[in-house]
Amino acid sequence: MTYVIGTNCVDVKDRTCIAECPVDCIYEGERMLYIHPDECVDCGACEPVCPVEAIYPADTLPTEWLWHLDAATAVTAGREDEPDAGPVDDHPDVLKLPARTGSA
Amino acid sequence: MSESLLSPPLTGPGPRRVPLPLITNPSEGPVKQSAKDFRSAEEVRWCPGCGDYAILAAVQGFLPELGLRRENIVFVSGIGCSSRFPYYMNTYGMHSIHGRAPAIATGLSVSRPDLSVWVITGDGDALSIGGNHLIHALRRNVNLKILLFNNRIYGLTKGQYSPTSEPGKITKSTPMGSLDTPFNPVSLAVGAGAGFVARTVDSDRKHLTSVLRAAAEYEGTALVEIYQNCNIFNDGAFEVLKNPATRDDHLLRLEQGQPLRYGSDGEHTIVRDAAGSLRPAAEAGATEGSDAEVIHDAHAADPALAFALSRLPENGGPTPIGVFRSVARPSYDRQVAEQLEQAVQASGPGDLDALLAGRDHWTV
Amino acid sequence: MSKQVLAKQVLAVPGVVIRFAGDSGDGIQLTGDRFTAQTATFGNDLATLPDFPAEIRAPQGTLPGVSAFQLHFADHSVATPGDSADVLIAMNPAALKANLEHLRPAAQIIADSDQFTKRNLTKAGYAANPLEDGSLEAYTVQPVPLTTLTVGALKDFGLSRKDAERSKNMFALGLLSWMYQRPTENTIAHLTTKFAKKPAIMRANIAAFHAGWNFGETTEAFAVSYVVAPAPAPAGTYRNITGNLALAYGLVAGAERAGLPLFLGSYPITPASDILHELSRHKNFGVTTFQAEDEIAAVSAALGASFGGSIGVTTTSGPGIALKAEAVGLAVTLELPLIVVNIQRGGPSTGLPTKTEQADLLQVLHGRNGESPVPVVSASSPGDCFDATLEAVRIALKYRTPVVLLSDGYLANGSEPWRVPQSAALPDLRVEFASGPNGVAADGTPRFLPYLRDPQTLARPWAVPGTPGLEHRIGGLEKADGTGDISYDADNHEFMVRVRQAKVDGIANDLPPTVVDDPTGDARVLVLGWGSTAGPIAAACAEVRAAGGSVARVHLRHLNPFPNDLGEILAAYDRVLVPEMNLGQLALLIRGRYLVDAISHTQVRGTPFKSSDLRNAIEKVISDV
Repeated sequence: MTYVIGTNCVDVKDRTCIAECPVDCIYEGERMLYIHPDECVDCGACEPVCPVEAIYPADTLPTEWLWHLDAATAVTAGREDEPDAGPVDDHPDVLKLPARTGSA
Repeated sequence: MSESLLSPPLTGPGPRRVPLPLITNPSEGPVKQSAKDFRSAEEVRWCPGCGDYAILAAVQGFLPELGLRRENIVFVSGIGCSSRFPYYMNTYGMHSIHGRAPAIATGLSVSRPDLSVWVITGDGDALSIGGNHLIHALRRNVNLKILLFNNRIYGLTKGQYSPTSEPGKITKSTPMGSLDTPFNPVSLAVGAGAGFVARTVDSDRKHLTSVLRAAAEYEGTALVEIYQNCNIFNDGAFEVLKNPATRDDHLLRLEQGQPLRYGSDGEHTIVRDAAGSLRPAAEAGATEGSDAEVIHDAHAADPALAFALSRLPENGGPTPIGVFRSVARPSYDRQVAEQLEQAVQASGPGDLDALLAGRDHWTV
Repeated sequence: MSKQVLAKQVLAVPGVVIRFAGDSGDGIQLTGDRFTAQTATFGNDLATLPDFPAEIRAPQGTLPGVSAFQLHFADHSVATPGDSADVLIAMNPAALKANLEHLRPAAQIIADSDQFTKRNLTKAGYAANPLEDGSLEAYTVQPVPLTTLTVGALKDFGLSRKDAERSKNMFALGLLSWMYQRPTENTIAHLTTKFAKKPAIMRANIAAFHAGWNFGETTEAFAVSYVVAPAPAPAGTYRNITGNLALAYGLVAGAERAGLPLFLGSYPITPASDILHELSRHKNFGVTTFQAEDEIAAVSAALGASFGGSIGVTTTSGPGIALKAEAVGLAVTLELPLIVVNIQRGGPSTGLPTKTEQADLLQVLHGRNGESPVPVVSASSPGDCFDATLEAVRIALKYRTPVVLLSDGYLANGSEPWRVPQSAALPDLRVEFASGPNGVAADGTPRFLPYLRDPQTLARPWAVPGTPGLEHRIGGLEKADGTGDISYDADNHEFMVRVRQAKVDGIANDLPPTVVDDPTGDARVLVLGWGSTAGPIAAACAEVRAAGGSVARVHLRHLNPFPNDLGEILAAYDRVLVPEMNLGQLALLIRGRYLVDAISHTQVRGTPFKSSDLRNAIEKVISDV
């Protein structure tokens, strides 16, 4: 199990969740944030602090956001323990999303 | 010998008639298992953000490596937030009473040396109400892996100071500051004669896993102190050891056979002073004499180095993490089993009729 | 000492009560044990009462340092160690002074006159020598210079005077053995084994023992010896046994008959430690003994072993029970077998460590938080400790529950002849561990339900670690019926509290009918007892009946649950008298449970009831009916 960040984060990137995560498993892309599924310990600290309700446990993820789990897996692969090593490349499907203004 | 009014015990079938119970371990060989196999169906109920989640994930992720089948593993805990841990492990488990987990686990491990027995405890459970059991398990070297989740606070009772809280701690029960001198769990364990003592941090998965691995390989009592953040009642207790901006200057990673160095470039050195204590060298890079640089040796029979390392923070030095001490000693369990075998070799298997009749008997 | 062997008179007597008394360093308990062993081998029925101080060595020659051992043996059935002694062997003035109250009028006193020095007399609080001042004229006093005679007998052994003096207890034993014509072979054998590594001491002790016998045979001071014929007993092999030894053997036998390993977790405490010592000698039976760091660790380790499939046992006395309470409560809710042995002693607090009492009944029944029902079984005589222990093991295994086994200091150290059972005739205590799923999950797959109960016994399955597929978690939090998951649900808690109680109550359906001892059938008074009062009550009832009175008697093995037929039995009598060595604990339960106006007769003196006192109490109730 892991938590997953969905479309509401795109172009918002509030980053409160990064400060809250006790194991530093949230990685930053150009357009959104990604949770490393293998590093997430399911503690749920990120979920309530997200101002745009973008974060869900994987098993209750809204159907239209299910692809975000695969996207996060792909984007964070090989980046274990290195969230400070700079931004990750956004997933191609994320890049295709229309620009958002920041309101959910 | 007055005439008894009491019946002799019931004879004939006892409880249900069945084949003799199996006590020997029925499982054979390692099996392909993943972290998922060690997750129970019970919903995890720690506060969001609790350091316990990271430890749970690390343990579940590491156990498949051990090659032990989950039915041969038992987690025993006491009382406190961390002691909910066994419920979340799909192994055998017991959530017992406050402070007594090492004692319960001792009985289990000694009577069932075929099992891998783990104790989950916290700073209040292990060092306050259960302090006696902890030190005696350590001196006996019972084959237990004791994971001591130290968050330096009482969480489940909502925020009183614990035996590891820093002096002057303001809590609900100490509005003017606590007056207690805290325990240093590593010092305590070394003083109690522990054969294996280590420390790690909840958020450092790799380090946590490596220490768990070393503990699991040790035959005897392995005490692992895990700095664990309580983000509700003592948030940030270990922040200086976790924050990338500060940790390099405050954390000393112990590596077997390596000099005691820390800092982002290993520029700080630990030296031994004339009194035998360890402390940081006054200047970066200084070694203060050719014999002063200290090489870490967790296998040293003498516990002096391990103890001196445990006191480093009290001497103004960094906080060491890693294996302080790992010295082979025969486990209590093994020695108990050997005595049972020796008794059979010396006297033969027990003969109940001969025992009951004794030597001085007569026949009417 | 005359060399001439005189023709001496031999008198047959039906029974004798002898009391050995001396300084706690004088070897009084050993002397008593040896005389008892000789007497048992001879075939007398007997009962013993060791009476020793809590201090290991109080100052020599003082009253607090006096150790005593009383033995009642007879050519007929013996129920008690005797209300008062016929013969006292006093090794010093303090032993004499402390034990006069235990003598019958005109009793014989054999005193070591060498020890009645001015200094020893002062230590004991005597202004003048009682052997000479006429103050003992109500008794038959026989001063014997035991110390001088012993040292004289050992003068060629190259021992210091001090070492030679230490054998004076064996000289006294030899003298008494002559007086009562006891067989001596097993005492010689015992001394040979005991001192095998100290041959000089061994030879000295054996020589002193022979010298004592020869002194009796040759001296003019002892004109008479006595014969107490063997007592009739059912055919069988017999041995002498103390309660603690019988209890330890009961545990070994229980484990053997269950086919399970025995694990004892114990912390040393008087008067229970002998069980730990004994069991630690029987590792070849697969018995593991663990001397824990404290009472709590002792019971906790036992419970841990039970979880792993052993018979977990912890042995202690009242103060230890207080400390173990929380862990016993955990065992109640885990529903695992556990044997908790309480060798009761005088309380409260440290109380009277070496003296007997039965004042822990309410503690073991009610001394835990919450509704925490625990079956309680009690032993009624030293030999009965064996049967009571097997019964405790049976209940614990069959019902998966902690069981408290009550004994006390009197049973623990007292002894009696015991007919040795054949192991094959002992109960079959085999149990079944769970081996596979016993239920179905919501999705239809098989699953293990750790709290699914046997419909008949209400016991839950015992699934030991190492069994694949039955991984489960148990704990002190309330559990959901069946699944064993944590549950705070109100209806579930109500159900679980009641079902745990029903399980323990249901044990009563499994008990044999209560035996009522009412030989004439016209008694209107019933004496109801439990535990070690069995002997004194039996003796008192026999005295009442011998005097023409009618009295009935019931003795309880099970104190929780009570037997199903107890209420009916109590209702059949006009008066129920409950003698107890406490302030009326069983009486309180009887009154509360059965609305019977039970008459409580109590004593808390650290010693067993005297049968004469009980006889008076019974006759008073009979006369009041």
